[in-house]
Amino acid sequence: MTAPTLDQLDRQLIDILAHDARVSNRKIAADLGVTEGTVRGRIKRLQQDGLIAFTAITSLRLEDSVKLAIIGVQAEYARLRPIAEQIAAFPNVDAVMIAMGRFNILVVCLFSELDRLYALASDQILVIDGVHHVETSIAVKTVKYNSRVVRIAEAERVVDADGG
Amino acid sequence: MNDNFVLDEVDRAIVQQLRDNGRATNQQIAETLGLTAATVSSRIRRMEDANKLRVVAVSDFAAHGYNMLMQVAIEVDGRPATEVATELAELPEVFAAHLVTGRHDIDILIALHDSDELPDFLQHKLAPVRGIRTIVPSIVTDVLKYKFDVAPIEAREGE
Repeated sequence: MTAPTLDQLDRQLIDILAHDARVSNRKIAADLGVTEGTVRGRIKRLQQDGLIAFTAITSLRLEDSVKLAIIGVQAEYARLRPIAEQIAAFPNVDAVMIAMGRFNILVVCLFSELDRLYALASDQILVIDGVHHVETSIAVKTVKYNSRVVRIAEAERVVDADGG
Repeated sequence: MNDNFVLDEVDRAIVQQLRDNGRATNQQIAETLGLTAATVSSRIRRMEDANKLRVVAVSDFAAHGYNMLMQVAIEVDGRPATEVATELAELPEVFAAHLVTGRHDIDILIALHDSDELPDFLQHKLAPVRGIRTIVPSIVTDVLKYKFDVAPIEAREGE
C-alpha cells in the first residue's frame, strides 16, 4: 500500500475523532481554528482513502466473558488465497491475515464458549480442502491492545460522513 | 457510577446504528428506531459513562505510515511471562500483547514503517528484553478481514 501524505491538520482531526467520533464539525472547526467546510471535506477524504472509519466499540471485558483466540493455519501454498477467503467468510471469524512464517494464515476470533472455538478450528477450518494443520492459542490475558489503529477492510471504506 | 447495568434491546439497537455509522446524529438514529433524540443521547451517554461503549474513529495503519505488520510468537524462560509482556507493551511498535496458551507464552502484533526497520527492531528492541527464549515472527502480507468493534475499554483519562 502506498503511504498517503497526511498533514498536521489531518493528524489533529484523527486524534480528536479517535477519542470521540460524535464531536460536531462545528466544535472541531472552532477548536482547530478552521472552517466547518474544511473539517467536513477533510473527514470525507480520509474516509474515502480508507484511512479512517467511524464505529462503535463495545467492551470486551464486559461482553459475556468474551475471549480472544489466535488460530494458526498451515495451508497448501498454491491455494492460499481462496482458502483464506473461505475462512474470512465465516461470520464467527474476526480477522484473517495471510502471512509468511510458521503459519501461512493467521485467524483471530472472539468466542465465549470453548466448544465454539473447537468447532471453528476443527469443524470449519481444518476440514477445508488444502488445510494441513491448525493450532489454537487462547489469550488468557491481554496486556496491550490498541483498538484505534486497525486495518480498514474494503467493505468498511465508504460510509457517508455528514455528521454534525 | 453504576457500571453494572445490562444493555437492553434499545441500547443494542442504538449500538448497531452507531456501528454502521458512528457519525450519525442523534436525530437520525432516533428517526430510524422510532425514539426521541433525547433518549438516544442519554442512552449513549449512559453506556459511555459505564465504559461499555466508545464511539470513535479508527485509523488505518497506513494513516500512520506503518506499512509492515508482523505477528510474533514468543517463548519465555526464567522470568514471569506477565513481566515480559508488560515490558514489550511499552514499545511503541507493539500494538497488541496477549499472554496465550499453547506452544508459546506471548503473542504480539508489531507495526513498522517499512522492512528497513526490522533488523534494528529485532536486535535493539526485542533482543534486550530479558526472559525471551525464542521468537517466531510471521510477516503479514495481506489482510483479508479485520473487524475491530469489540475491544478492551479503559476508563477515559481524567474520569
